Amino acid sequence: MSQFLQATIYGLLQGGLLALIAVGFSLVWGVMNVVNLAHGSFVILGAYVGWKLNSAMGLDPFLGMLVAAVVLFAVGYLLQRWLINLVINGPIFITLLLTFGLDLLIVQGMNITFSADYRSIKTAYAGDSLALGSVRVPVGRLLAFVIALLVTFALVALVNRTRTGLSIMATGMDRGAARLMGIRARHAYALTFGIAAALAGMAGTMVGTVGTFNPAAAGGFTLLSFVIAVLGGLGNMYGALVGGLLIGLVEAWGGQYLPGTWVNALAFAVLVLVLVFRPSGLVGRAYYSARQEV
Amino acid sequence: MRSKSKSLSLVAVVAATTLVAAGCGSKGEKTADSGGASGTLAIGASMSLTGALAREGALTKEGYELCQDKVNAKGGADIGGKKVKLDIQFQDDTSKPDTAAQLVDQFNDKGVKLILSSYGSANTEAQASVIERNGQVMADSAGADNKIFEKGYKRTFAVLSPATEYAASIIKAIKELAQPQPKTIAILSADDGFSKTVAEGGAAAAKEAGYNVLPTQLFPNGTSDVSSALTKVKGQKPDVIIGSVHLVEGVAIIKQAKELGVMPSGGFGESVAPPTPDFAKTLGKDAENVLGSSQWTDSTKGSDKYFGTAKDYANDINAKYGHAPDYHDAEASAACLALVMAAEKAGSTDADKVRDALASLDTDSFFGHIKFNDKGQNVYKPMSVIQVQNGKAVTVWPTDSAEAKMIWPGTKQ
Repeated sequence: MSQFLQATIYGLLQGGLLALIAVGFSLVWGVMNVVNLAHGSFVILGAYVGWKLNSAMGLDPFLGMLVAAVVLFAVGYLLQRWLINLVINGPIFITLLLTFGLDLLIVQGMNITFSADYRSIKTAYAGDSLALGSVRVPVGRLLAFVIALLVTFALVALVNRTRTGLSIMATGMDRGAARLMGIRARHAYALTFGIAAALAGMAGTMVGTVGTFNPAAAGGFTLLSFVIAVLGGLGNMYGALVGGLLIGLVEAWGGQYLPGTWVNALAFAVLVLVLVFRPSGLVGRAYYSARQEV
Repeated sequence: MRSKSKSLSLVAVVAATTLVAAGCGSKGEKTADSGGASGTLAIGASMSLTGALAREGALTKEGYELCQDKVNAKGGADIGGKKVKLDIQFQDDTSKPDTAAQLVDQFNDKGVKLILSSYGSANTEAQASVIERNGQVMADSAGADNKIFEKGYKRTFAVLSPATEYAASIIKAIKELAQPQPKTIAILSADDGFSKTVAEGGAAAAKEAGYNVLPTQLFPNGTSDVSSALTKVKGQKPDVIIGSVHLVEGVAIIKQAKELGVMPSGGFGESVAPPTPDFAKTLGKDAENVLGSSQWTDSTKGSDKYFGTAKDYANDINAKYGHAPDYHDAEASAACLALVMAAEKAGSTDADKVRDALASLDTDSFFGHIKFNDKGQNVYKPMSVIQVQNGKAVTVWPTDSAEAKMIWPGTKQ
C-alpha cells in the first residue's frame, strides 16, 4: 500500500511539471495551427538560463526561472514575429520543417555553447523530502508542482479574462474577423508564441532543479508535449493539465506494476486508447473549434 | 500579395531544408589513401559528435586525436621500415547505429580499410557486421557488450574489458574490502543491451560471492526518473544498491534515493557514472563514497613508447584539452594504439595482415595489458574500482594500484 501511495505521489508531482511543459505547446498548436517541434529545445534553453544564473551568481532556481521566463519570452516573440510568421499561411508541413530546423539549430547551438555535459541546478533543499508516514514527498518536486499548477491557472485567467488574452483567442478562432475588429494578428501570434516559450523556460529551470539535463534531452520533451497536448485536447489549457497528470500517474504506476520496461510504450498506449474513444481529447472540444481558415 | 507570400514560403522551405541538411550532413569528405605510398595511413572513424552520445563521442574523438598527435610527433608509425603518418578521418554518425554502419561502408568505398569504432555498444555492434562483410579491420574503443563478440566475428578487437566485468568488479572489491560485509544486494539496471549484460555479470558475481541477490529492476535507458525501481527495492532493505547505468540514470539513482529515503546500510555502487567528473560536480556531497568501476584510471600500471605511463597520459590530456582525463579518452587512445602497434608488427597496412597481427598482439601500455582472446575481447586487463572521496574519484581496488582505502559503509554520514 505504501508503495502504491509513494508511486502515486511521485507520479502526480511529475505530472504537474509535464503539464507546464506541454501547456504552451498546446496553446501554440491550438491558436496558430503550428506544431512547434522546437518546443523541447525551449525547455532545455530555460534550464540552461536557470543553471547559468545559479552557477555564476548563486541565484535560487525558483527565482531564476522568472528570468528564464523573460528571456524565453523574448526569444519566442522574436522568432515568431520575424521568422515563423513568414510562413504562417503555408501548409502545416512548412511550419513543421521550419521548427524542426530551428530545433536542430538551437540544440546544436547549446551543444557548442554549454557542451553536451549533463548539468543539474544544485540547491540545498530540493533533494530533501518530507516524511508522511512511510511515504516521502520530495521538497523540490512539490514546489515545482505547486508552481506548475499556479502558472497554468494564471494562464487560463489571462486568456479568458484579459483583453490581451481575448485577442489571442479571437485571432485563433477567426483571423480575418479579428483583424477587422482592429486586432493586430501578428502581435497576437507573437505574444502567444512568446508566452508558450516563457512557460517552457520556467518548466525547464524546474526540470534542471529536480533532475539532470543536456541538449540531447530536448527531443524527449517535444515528444511528451505532443502526447500530452493531443491527449488533453488541442489548445485547451485544462486539457494539458489533465493530460500531464494522467501521463505522470500512468508512468509511475506502470513502472511499479508492469514487468521490465513496458513503461516505455505506456504513454503512447494511453494516447491510442484516448484517441479511439474520445478523438477530441479528454477535456471536450477546444475553444478554437470555430476556427475559420483565411 | 499572393505571389509575395508564395515566394516567401519558397524561401522558407529552402532555408528549412538547408538547416536540416546542415544538421544531418557529415563533413570531411576527402579522398583516401590507405597505402603507405604517400607516407600517410588513412584510418576511418565514425564519431557520435551530435545526438544523444555527443558528450562521450567528443571524449572519444579527443582520445583518437591525441593518439594521432603522439604517433605523428615521433615522425609516424614505423611500418615495414618506413615512417608513416596517421591521418584519422572523422565523420559524424549523429549517435545512430545505422549511420555509423553506413559510414563504415563509405570508408570502404574510399579504400579505407582500417577503422576506429564509434562510441558505445549499439553503434559498434552495427559497425562490426559491416566490417566483417567488407574485410575491413576495426579497433573497438567503447563497445563492451559481450553480445558483439558472440557472433563469431574475426575482424573486431576491443581493447576494453568486457561488459560483464563492470558491476562484477565492484562486487569483488566489496567482497574483498568491505567490513562489515553486506548480506543483500539489489541491482538496478537501464534496459539497453550493454547495461543488461553488466547487470547479469554483476548478479552472477554477487551470487558466487554468497550474497542474497534481489531480482534486477529495469528502467528505460536515458531516463532521469528511476523512482519506480527504487520504490520497489525500498521495502526489501538491501545493504548495497548497484546501478548498471550511464551518467544520467546514475545521477538519478543517488538524487531520488535521497528524495525517497532509500538508504542502504552499506552503500551505492554504479558502473560508468561515478568515474566521470560530471558525477561529483552534479551531485555535490551526495556523490561522496559512491563506488564505481572504470576501464582505466591514471594509476593504472604499464607503459608504452607513444604515451608513456598512465600519469604521462593524464598530463597530456590536461595540457591539450584542459580537463582531467576521462576513461573514455584513454580507451579511445588505447584502441588507436593497438591498431598502430598491429600495423607496425605486421610491417604492412594490408587489412588481413593487420588483423592477424592484432589477433596475436600481446603488449603493455598506459592502458594496461592489451591482448585479445579468440573472440576479440581484452580479458587480460582488470577493471579498476574507484570511490568518490572529497569530490574526487580515487582508485581503491585492485589494492596493488589503490590510491586510497575504501571507506565503508559508504552511507555513514
